[in-house]
Amino acid sequence: MAVILGGKMLGILSLLGIMKGVTWYFDSAAGAQTSAPIVHTANQLISPINTIWVLVTAFLVFFMQAGFMALEAGFARSRETVNILLECVFDTCLCGLLWWAIGFAFMFGAGNGIIGHQYFFLHGVSGAYGTTGVAFLAFFLFQFAFADTASTITSGAMVGRTGFKGDILYSTCVSGFIYPIFGHWVWGPGGWLGNTMGWFHGLAGGTVFRDFAGSTVVHTVGGVIALAGAIALGPRLGRKFKRDGGGPTPPHDLTMASIGAVILWFGWYGFNPGSTLSAMDWTGIGRVAANTTLAACAGGMVAVLFVYPRSKKWDLGISLNGFLGGLVAITAPCYWVSPSGALIIGAVAGIVVPLGVDLLERLRIDDPIGAFPVHGMAGIWGTLSIGLLATGQFGIPTADGADNSTVVKGLLYGGGTSQLVTQAIGSLTCIVVVGSVALFVMYAIKSIRGSWSLRVSPDGELEGLDLHEHGTPAYHVEFGQGMTYSTPANLPRSGPVPASMPAPDKTDVPV
Amino acid sequence: MPYLVTAIIKPFKLEEVKEALRGAGVLGLTVSEVQGFGRQGGKTETFRGSEYKMEFVPKVKVEVLVETSQADKVVDLIASSARTGKIGDGKVWAFDLDRLMRIRTGEMGDDAV
Repeated sequence: MAVILGGKMLGILSLLGIMKGVTWYFDSAAGAQTSAPIVHTANQLISPINTIWVLVTAFLVFFMQAGFMALEAGFARSRETVNILLECVFDTCLCGLLWWAIGFAFMFGAGNGIIGHQYFFLHGVSGAYGTTGVAFLAFFLFQFAFADTASTITSGAMVGRTGFKGDILYSTCVSGFIYPIFGHWVWGPGGWLGNTMGWFHGLAGGTVFRDFAGSTVVHTVGGVIALAGAIALGPRLGRKFKRDGGGPTPPHDLTMASIGAVILWFGWYGFNPGSTLSAMDWTGIGRVAANTTLAACAGGMVAVLFVYPRSKKWDLGISLNGFLGGLVAITAPCYWVSPSGALIIGAVAGIVVPLGVDLLERLRIDDPIGAFPVHGMAGIWGTLSIGLLATGQFGIPTADGADNSTVVKGLLYGGGTSQLVTQAIGSLTCIVVVGSVALFVMYAIKSIRGSWSLRVSPDGELEGLDLHEHGTPAYHVEFGQGMTYSTPANLPRSGPVPASMPAPDKTDVPV
Repeated sequence: MPYLVTAIIKPFKLEEVKEALRGAGVLGLTVSEVQGFGRQGGKTETFRGSEYKMEFVPKVKVEVLVETSQADKVVDLIASSARTGKIGDGKVWAFDLDRLMRIRTGEMGDDAV
């Protein structure tokens, strides 16, 4: 009797729980938003204008996925093309769901200096996010595109030997936890790096950590996790490094890689200018867009010229990495520096990136795409550059224009060292905290026995990830009609079969 | 009479074969990407959730020109370095050549190897 009652009680309780959950879920304002009556005054147009701006730039940032896909696939070997494309697609879908469920809440929900805990499953959203005047869900979409970028950067250094199940595991950690929690520290409401500098308050001299569009939050985070992944995985089978008489693997399609890189540059026009979250700061978005361009130009050109003396060749690959490095570097300072400052920042990135590539080769770390030199090292440089080159003319963008009441001033403009110290604290925090968490996660996933391990089996790696993990090569030669129907293997083939011929072992997969 | 040794091997075995041949003093070889099927009759792969038949499996063809005295050794070397023991390891064969000339110098026969 007691057992039956107990069972009934459990059933009733779980039913009540489901009812409560469903009511809670559909009670969310995301399900049924009510808008205020429309009044066409100038003030009432600020939010629509800013929302359009944020949406347009969100779409541009989202399009960077196409750039990443093409760049990474083009730089890699042809046998892992399908793998790279699917990783980008799958990570995007995974990131979207995680962002909706927990990521956005951890990063942009109210909470403490360490983590947010509001808006889980987009519950309780309002018309506009915070004081931005931007539609809440437009802001959500914009920030999702950013999170997705961080997650995709990571895969670049891990190309060619990461098992797909391992990819799912680490991507969940990156998109669901590492990126949003670190992001909260800088961009979240009350985040300790962006508001108080926490324990380092005394060292910061009244300044707070500045990262306009994410040299640290997106790129250093992505780059450092990528490095941790590459270290945990080890090099691809057969990869020899320069000091062992080898060198990098040649790219399989530079046409695709170049188009991908230029798509990324194009997408950056959403990444940086969109980070004002305000079109009303119209001088700000103009300055940011111009600075972004100049840094990319300087980075691409300097990288080519930097490697020319040693190779006597005009190197396309390093020009792509170079301008991407310039873009990564200008991401943090783009709002606070002058156009000539942007040129310097991009030019230095154009040297940092090839030196970073050399460094990884020296350390025998296999990063086929250059994810760490471009996103990690150029990201660190860009973050620090605010402390040197911020002009002291600009503060922050707000919903109805620029607010220059508190300006950001770097060392070279007479602002002293405090901003530089603050930037170094923020960047170092990212490297140490994100780096150690990422190393732990990567080694933990690698230690899983069987197919959920981070690294694919040696057989699968030798066969190539496209066939082994995905069943389809990206490129193949079509013979005949290009149809794949044929005599089923179990029917007798034409011609006599010698009695001595052993039957093919169907469990023995030919490679 | 120089020999032409030809082998069809698994693509990922190429490096091992190359190193083995180099170690035995072979100075040059030619490789091509080829596709074909053997006893296993192709293999089955999947696309958009459905199976399809890969009738022709990608392989690498290695061609080496060797002096007569080296032919057996080179065949053995290729066989041992390309072998995995699993189905699809490929084949290696050799035949002697009537004519062989080094184009640059006009040398003939074993001298042209």
